[in-house]
Amino acid sequence: MSNDDFYVRYYVGHKGKFGHEFLEFEFRPDGKMRYANNSNYKNDTMIRKEAFVSASVLLELKRIIEDSEIMKEDDSNWPQPDRVGRQELEIILGDQHISFTTTKLGSLMQVQQSKDPEGLRAFYYLVQDVKCLVFSLISAHFKIQPIQR
Amino acid sequence: MANYDDDLMEDAEEAQPPQRVRSQVNAVRKQKGRGFREGMDVDDERHAGRGYESLETGIGPGPAKSVEGWVIFITNVNEEASEDDIHEACSEFGEVKNIHLNLDRRTGYVKGYALVEYATRKEAQDAIAALQGTELLTKTLDVTWAFSKGPVRRARVGAGRR
Repeated sequence: MSNDDFYVRYYVGHKGKFGHEFLEFEFRPDGKMRYANNSNYKNDTMIRKEAFVSASVLLELKRIIEDSEIMKEDDSNWPQPDRVGRQELEIILGDQHISFTTTKLGSLMQVQQSKDPEGLRAFYYLVQDVKCLVFSLISAHFKIQPIQR
Repeated sequence: MANYDDDLMEDAEEAQPPQRVRSQVNAVRKQKGRGFREGMDVDDERHAGRGYESLETGIGPGPAKSVEGWVIFITNVNEEASEDDIHEACSEFGEVKNIHLNLDRRTGYVKGYALVEYATRKEAQDAIAALQGTELLTKTLDVTWAFSKGPVRRARVGAGRR
């Protein structure tokens, strides 16, 4: 590992009536993007895709993460993962390695009313922006519409 | 946790009973977050056993074809650019099959990147060659391929990481 390595992984999911439903993706330093989306609702199947993205895509993702200032935050005052669901965000950037967890966030209201609205807001918007990029990449490359959650 | 550092380990893991993945690189970085204390909820349902599908892209360096065409990636797009602006800039190289111009979820302005799809490699290549470094609404565009056939950089052989 060198300090210019860059890694991103995001997971959101829950275990319930329809089994373990989740969305997970990761970007590795070599550009490999992996994407898994599993919903058992009405016997939907698991989607698992991988592709290599260009260096420019990784740079843009890095810019989005840096702009969000998420690396300055800390998850210690965020709501814990619970029965509603679980989110995980793991990022390696420079000499920092974060691995944050929280519950599913249904609305900005929930973010504002938390003990760390500023930090959780950075997380809330970053996750949406990164998901948006991933959905576009997957949809452009494979022509499938990811299950939104 | 991240174990991308070691593909050998990953292959072994897929063949064996599931086990939690632990990052191999913790010692050298400042760590922050509950994920390190609790461990992530990584289990066999998520990664082990079944493989990931990928498109047959061939080997060697260079851009990868997508299912229905060739996708270019544009960055440093002005936050006030519209899909029409992108379409206008891109359509002189061939029919634009699709545009993704995503918005910043907080501000509602353009996030700064666009994906543009062409049917043929030549059209996409022409667009990259012509648009790279040009200005759109006072910002200088960076235009490249979105997908690669293989890793963007080579694994260092014998780097002694394992």
